[in-house]
Amino acid sequence: MDALKEISNIGMGNAVTSLAQLVNRRIDMNVPLTRFMPLDETISLVGGPEEIVSCVSLNISGDVPGMVLFIFDSQSTFQMVDLLMGMNLGTTADLDEMAESAVKEIGNVLTGSFIGALCQMTQLNMVTAVPMFAFDMLGAILTSLMVASGRVEDHVLVIQTQLFQEKEVNIKGNFFLLTEPGSIQVLFKALGLAVE
Amino acid sequence: MSKKILIVDDAAFMRMMIKNIVAKNGYEVVGEAENGKQAVEMYANSSPDVVTMDITMPEMDGIDGVKAIRSIDPNAVIIMCSAMGQQSMVMDAIQAGAKDFIVKPFQQDRLLQALERVLSRGK
Repeated sequence: MDALKEISNIGMGNAVTSLAQLVNRRIDMNVPLTRFMPLDETISLVGGPEEIVSCVSLNISGDVPGMVLFIFDSQSTFQMVDLLMGMNLGTTADLDEMAESAVKEIGNVLTGSFIGALCQMTQLNMVTAVPMFAFDMLGAILTSLMVASGRVEDHVLVIQTQLFQEKEVNIKGNFFLLTEPGSIQVLFKALGLAVE
Repeated sequence: MSKKILIVDDAAFMRMMIKNIVAKNGYEVVGEAENGKQAVEMYANSSPDVVTMDITMPEMDGIDGVKAIRSIDPNAVIIMCSAMGQQSMVMDAIQAGAKDFIVKPFQQDRLLQALERVLSRGK
């Protein structure tokens, strides 16, 4: 799992750097938790099926077809909007159209950075599509994504991290990579991991 | 006289951000498009001096958008602005006719310098 941890450090590192640039602040990140786990178990990891979260999802095509999800709980989401819009932390309490667009764009940029880092490391080709957005209960979002994509997902690569800046900023980020059956092996192989 | 700019990005937020940067720096925003198809229509109607073009957009992506605009105006000056910065993407964009490629997130100065540079080069 070391290569996976490395990928997660580098991938998230790049993503967080992008976020820091977007919001013009120093953003630190703790060591990400990286797991390859069944989808249903991810729900309790993120906070339970009824946790209200924002979810930016992007389809990935290329060598590792699948889907990327960036999931943030509601407080983290509002904080990100505040940061991005240059407002005082604690201002945003719900999401209007512009705020939604902002969160989508954050997801887009973070994913671009993450996937870009992955591609550089593995020399694989991975292309992101237009981001979709949902702000709802986690369980409902994941269920509808699975149904819509027709996926019978088994295991998911999950990277969970906390982004912070002193005591002011505290954002909990969850990155999911769901792949077509067999595709994760392509990624593992490119990383030099044994194929399961 | 202000240079006219057309901003193309499916994210309202990104269009707003680019608009804020360029409007404060002497550019006149003559249009905002959500995808490549709209971009072509607006280009034909407003004849901007320069275009910023996202890549990942619904209906018609940015690469096709560049090709489409250049088919109606081979001298069109277009800068790509995308979250994806992979070499192959950049190559595709430049081959399609883009004059520069900026990866998001970008600093304000990076965008302004790129605009200045492509406009001063002339056609």
